Amino acid sequence: MTEVSVAVKPRRAVPEPARGGHRSTKRSRREARAAYLFLAPWFVGLLVITIGPIFASLYLSFTDYSLLEEAKWIGFDNYIKMFTEDDRFLNSLQVTTVYVIVSVPLQLAFALALALVLDRGLRGLSFYRSIFYLPSLLGGSVAIAILWRKVFGADGLVNAVLAMFGIEGPGWVGHPDYALGTLILLHVWTFGAPMIIFLAGLRQIPSSYYEAASVDGAGKWRQFRSITIPLLTPIIFFNLVLELIKSFQSFTQAFIVSGGKGGPADSTLFYTLYLYLEGFKNYDMGYAAAMAWVLLLIIAGLTGVNFLASKYWVFYGDTK
Amino acid sequence: MSSGKKMWSAALLATAVLAVTAACGSGSGGGETADGKIKLRFSYWGSDARQKMTEEAIKKFEAKNPTIDVEGEFSDWASYYETLSTKVAGSDAPDVMSLEIRGLREYADRGTLADVTGKVNTADIDAKVLATGAIDGKQYAIPTGVNAFSLIVNKALVEQSKAELPDDKTWTWDDYVALANKITAGSGGKVIGTQLSWNPAYLQIYATQKGEQFYNGNKLGVTPATIKEWWSIMQNLIKGKGAPDAAKSAEIGATSIDQSLLGTNTGAMGMWWSNQLGAATKASGQQLDLLRMPKIKGATVGGMFTQPAMFYSASSKTEHAAEAAKFIDFMINDPEAGAIILSDRGLPASSKVLAAVRDKLPEADQKTLTFLEENKSELSDPPAAPPKGSSATEDIITRYSEEVMFGRMTPDDAAQKLITEVNASIAG
Repeated sequence: MTEVSVAVKPRRAVPEPARGGHRSTKRSRREARAAYLFLAPWFVGLLVITIGPIFASLYLSFTDYSLLEEAKWIGFDNYIKMFTEDDRFLNSLQVTTVYVIVSVPLQLAFALALALVLDRGLRGLSFYRSIFYLPSLLGGSVAIAILWRKVFGADGLVNAVLAMFGIEGPGWVGHPDYALGTLILLHVWTFGAPMIIFLAGLRQIPSSYYEAASVDGAGKWRQFRSITIPLLTPIIFFNLVLELIKSFQSFTQAFIVSGGKGGPADSTLFYTLYLYLEGFKNYDMGYAAAMAWVLLLIIAGLTGVNFLASKYWVFYGDTK
Repeated sequence: MSSGKKMWSAALLATAVLAVTAACGSGSGGGETADGKIKLRFSYWGSDARQKMTEEAIKKFEAKNPTIDVEGEFSDWASYYETLSTKVAGSDAPDVMSLEIRGLREYADRGTLADVTGKVNTADIDAKVLATGAIDGKQYAIPTGVNAFSLIVNKALVEQSKAELPDDKTWTWDDYVALANKITAGSGGKVIGTQLSWNPAYLQIYATQKGEQFYNGNKLGVTPATIKEWWSIMQNLIKGKGAPDAAKSAEIGATSIDQSLLGTNTGAMGMWWSNQLGAATKASGQQLDLLRMPKIKGATVGGMFTQPAMFYSASSKTEHAAEAAKFIDFMINDPEAGAIILSDRGLPASSKVLAAVRDKLPEADQKTLTFLEENKSELSDPPAAPPKGSSATEDIITRYSEEVMFGRMTPDDAAQKLITEVNASIAG
């Protein structure tokens, strides 16, 4: 134990002379070496487990690679095939886009609405907060996806309830017109994570603003529109970016609910699911790698647009 | 002083971490174990029950061959090929692998498998069955046992629904549809006639009855007209309520036999591979039987065929080819192995092993055996291993069939696209 405390002291002392401009004293160099040594495992991990595979996948995306044979260089063929010949690819892009465009705003709206309710200082707030957060912890899990199959199955809970009102519901997960809807619902249901962030954001808004507004005669709606929303825009922006990226990469729900095939009739063929099928089921890892890079570009592009657009609608209190 | 000590401990820590990382990376290579035994890796998929059986058989093999240490590498079916292909890609292929027929050419055509001609005794295996594991005269795989794709029926439920089973030697597809519709009607919807199947084997049987080959070289040999006729059977079933509507069919189609209509006693018929009879019987808890598939009116052949349930193959990269062949030989030909494995990998391909274990087989398998023997003269030859790229066929058929059942595509359009896509997959 004493060893440790002795070891810590000099390290704290070091940054001061460094800031003072003494660059390479013997001691600080030794310290730096020690630091790199300690960081080495992480660097090795970064190189071997992250950077290496990223570049390998970039290379593979230009090859015909079945996993079982050596990769063959084919230039841009994979990318060309994707956009000119492969209807399933375009379909998967469409399915994913619909999923993202519908489910993300819905989910955020839901999260914000509940955060507003909870922010009014209900008794047992932390209890409700935990309850509402629970789906976020479970939502991406296999178990919930299996449950979803049961609930929205032809003989599931939803149809049992509908039957009480004399409505004969279709098999929701088995019908191409509704299957994607059940997945969107599953995503909206996991509103807990953005809700917690919204709650924190709401707490940041000084109550004096609301007091001043009500003295001026502003109603609740007016206050919401002119105080809450503008001051919350950085949080909304943060949640939007995060959820957009996350939902573009959705995989588990579609994989389980559709039995691993993106069915019925490709109506739940998410981008990542198709990528997985091409890579591991159809022995076309080169094509799958190319798809992964296109997905990266799509997400990066969207996030970039998002950041550019944010100049026009996100309000940071300190910029004005 | 303290800083010197610190450096020392830091270096130690870093080395330790690196050592751990490196150990994770290298994994288990082939070769010899510490005590000089030859280590053989054997990969297979399946249930827990199969794992127990296999481990037991491995122990028996090791007792007979004390210099060989066999290490089973087990995974579930859903992730089996993923794991296996990743291992092969990482030059870490198991010495002996289990494969099924759709995966056979994917691996053999890519130079992953070794020719075991003459290294494994195949004298007791039916020549036609054995031939399914051979490609261009090279025996890349040894079949473990055989199955037939057939109709499974719950006779009690048929009778309860005031319907009557026709003679399965002469019945036609029209009879089948009429029976299914009658079962649903007779039971007031409590028992559904049958459940739809999109298994390529089903289409293959139908095509054979039409005189068409399923795979004709590197092309799908089935004509659009046949596919459309085949779809009309299912459309008539849905129309007459002999099968659930398209949405419910798609839903149960994605589940296992335990949750099938037959398995839950909410349906009277269904089509599966004959080795599923045991699992279906267990799930339903009632007596289930195998029937011949219906025929097209006037067809001269029934089209049913036996197909190896599984193969054992040796890796082309193995350093212990002789030992790998020895292990395969043991699993296929040794009655002691047969007595442990029984029909878990299909009804034993070796006639000697089959004769030795026949009385020990569970009731459902004895039924299957009798069924296959009674049927023997009507069965078509086992088809050759389907071409490379055929792994996708089942999904393609399912997808276009669903498009047609939901009325989202015309049968003409879908049949054409189905053929184009299967052909593209095989060619590419």
